[in-house]
Amino acid sequence: MNRYFYYCVTIVSMLNLMLFVPYLLIQERYTGAVSSMIAAAVGGSLIAFLFTHVMKVFPGKGLPEIFGVFFPKWVTAPFMFFMGCMYFTSGSMVLVGFSVLINRFLNPDTSSIVVLSLLSIACIYGATRSTLSNIFIIEMGLIICAPLIIMILFKSYRSPSLDWDAMRTVAQYWHHPPKLTSYAAAVYIFTGYSGYAIFNRLNPPNFRLRYRWLIPLIGCFIMVSSFFVPIGFHGTETAANYLYVWSVTADSMTMEYGFLERVVFIFLLLYLNLTLVYTTNVWHITMELFKSCLPGAKPEIDPERTPLSNWIIAGVLGLITVMTTYFLDEKQNLAIAKNWLILRVFVEVVMVLFLFVLSIGAGGKKRSA
Amino acid sequence: MLKRIESLFAESRDLTMHQLKNDEMTIEIAYIETLCDGSKVSDFILVPFTKQQQPFDEIIKINPVYEPLDDPAKWTDTLLLGFVLIQVKDKIYKLDAARIIRNENPQTMVETVITGPQIALSEDVIDSINIIRSRYPSPELATEERTVGTTSRTRVLLLYDKRSVDSNVLNMVRKRLDRIVVPMVTASGQLSRALGDRYKLFPTMIITERPDRVCNAIQDGKVVLLLQGSMFAIVLPVTFYDFLSAVDDQYDSFWMTRTLLVLRYIAVLLTISLPALYVAIVSYNPELFRVQLTFSIAGSRSAVPYPSFIEVFIMLLMIESLVEASVRLPKYIGSTATTVGGLILGQAAQQAGLVSSIMIIVTSVVAISNFVIPINNMSTAIRFMKYPLIFMAIFFGISGVTIGLFIYFVYLADMRSFGKPYFRIFSKTPSQSGDIGQVDQG
Repeated sequence: MNRYFYYCVTIVSMLNLMLFVPYLLIQERYTGAVSSMIAAAVGGSLIAFLFTHVMKVFPGKGLPEIFGVFFPKWVTAPFMFFMGCMYFTSGSMVLVGFSVLINRFLNPDTSSIVVLSLLSIACIYGATRSTLSNIFIIEMGLIICAPLIIMILFKSYRSPSLDWDAMRTVAQYWHHPPKLTSYAAAVYIFTGYSGYAIFNRLNPPNFRLRYRWLIPLIGCFIMVSSFFVPIGFHGTETAANYLYVWSVTADSMTMEYGFLERVVFIFLLLYLNLTLVYTTNVWHITMELFKSCLPGAKPEIDPERTPLSNWIIAGVLGLITVMTTYFLDEKQNLAIAKNWLILRVFVEVVMVLFLFVLSIGAGGKKRSA
Repeated sequence: MLKRIESLFAESRDLTMHQLKNDEMTIEIAYIETLCDGSKVSDFILVPFTKQQQPFDEIIKINPVYEPLDDPAKWTDTLLLGFVLIQVKDKIYKLDAARIIRNENPQTMVETVITGPQIALSEDVIDSINIIRSRYPSPELATEERTVGTTSRTRVLLLYDKRSVDSNVLNMVRKRLDRIVVPMVTASGQLSRALGDRYKLFPTMIITERPDRVCNAIQDGKVVLLLQGSMFAIVLPVTFYDFLSAVDDQYDSFWMTRTLLVLRYIAVLLTISLPALYVAIVSYNPELFRVQLTFSIAGSRSAVPYPSFIEVFIMLLMIESLVEASVRLPKYIGSTATTVGGLILGQAAQQAGLVSSIMIIVTSVVAISNFVIPINNMSTAIRFMKYPLIFMAIFFGISGVTIGLFIYFVYLADMRSFGKPYFRIFSKTPSQSGDIGQVDQG
């Protein structure tokens, strides 16, 4: 169904606020962030269109099955493992980042490891559910969170403390050539389609994806907001001082009517929910990719009983996440996130183009047959 | 025949066996007197047999109320269901003469609506089917009969629309019905527990007494189970949405009922999360609310000597016992219990400084919003849901509550009611192509 695809797209673009994306963009605000964003809007949408085309050619097939059609198992297995690691890292980074945020804003007395363990347990539980359940989880998460997040965005645009001049000033640096880091950060907003690497299994054979023009629309709106609004609130210089720039931005807003005064608490709780939904899904995708490496793997959309392998794989994923926080500090996390985003650009381009070539081949086969 | 029956039954004084003679022939009849309607026995057997206007063996062949019964192994069961066994010229026939004691034309008591039919299903399945068929006069309405319970041998009727029913669901229900090994099944709730996974937190079947709900469900392609001796039908498969929609929603104006539906969802959210939020905000994250509100909450708690979660537990214990008492008490005392418990005790507890006044409000909101849920077995399930959240709030504050709610959502999203997704919006959509929930799960 169409709406499930756009849920995936929306959740990733909304979640970029938690993944150091605005931070990385704002760091290069004078040296090419704006042009990188324009480039990312074009490049990201293009890749998304290519990918959706591939998924249309192989309805009901996830990434492992598509590769399984063309290659023997010993070729696909390492590749799937690598892809799984890529997905896993994104989920874990979000989760680790958020556990720090919770520790700072909501539970200052609890250590972030405890919070992270709790978050991990919730995500492990979610990730072990079936693929069908996972798509419902996204649906519920977004239906609950998206209206309020859009309300907060709207509120931020209407806020009298938003300085449009600062935003205009930064926008004038558009003629600097794009930079790789900021391109990598910006293009991440458009990668919501990648969830369909596994969720494509759910699509029936007669499935047709419509309204694809929504992808650049949603992406651009959120990208522009996530970059310019913090600058508008904090000024062109100060905006670069904050790591979790959006929680500070949300803290700049107040609500006149209601129980809560500081918007940041609503914002944090909403994003806590989104983070859990996102990590659950990403870990689920990781788990399915890892499972496809196992001998005798058979994709199942909605098994009646949760297989034991689900629990083992997801448990290990959670454990690794908690361990990394134990060993790494925030600066190292930031460095990992940065490098991961850059690596992801190349992996994405290579994979999507490769898949596209495969899909052309498959189309030719179909016609000849 | 009579001797064999006598040997089959232990000492049952109400087992009646007769050998009847008239001019032409001798017949033997056997029935359990207490189960049978005496007038039926005399109308269909004794009178025609003694009047002899027509030879009795011819009557028995022509009239379809007499059915031949060849298998001697079925004699006991047939007798126990209120049938009369008749032996005419070495052939055995059975005649349904069951006398069933039941409530006459019951009114809906549990699930009331303002407009809409006021008559409920009957405790006799035959009457219930009469009620349903008269509202659903379609040749597509199929009925199947089974018995469940190794001792009780209760009749269960499956009703469904042949055209719109999902065959996967139907097979699953049949399979599960055959698998039940419970000695006694006397109520629909028992059957639903034996049918479903008994450790699920939310009900996966609607138990209803309303014929209009049953008919709508059949029309939507659902399966309905009717149980002999119970005026409640089981409807399956269902979604979470079905539990929150009252039958009234189809009778009243569109926008008003949509608003009520939203109100019900808000009520569910409130009744689940409010006690936990109280604990989290009072003891863990007081900075969440604006300062004036935090002060007034803290001020109202100034006389309370212990942490907020003990306060919550005291009040919840009181309200739960109150609800339980008003259900169990005889009708005439019930209202007294609520007045004494709710008004007097609540007021006094607050004045004595045992609980804060905000807590009284929280408790009342929790109790009231719990009763907004139209279907009773869902409302009891929801009643339980707040306790795990309170524990999350005790240890992790507001973020714990959010994580707990997330886990509930995951749990709901993972639930299946007879293989069908349980928690999704647009649950009304009948089977059609394209929707992910309809993906073939083979």
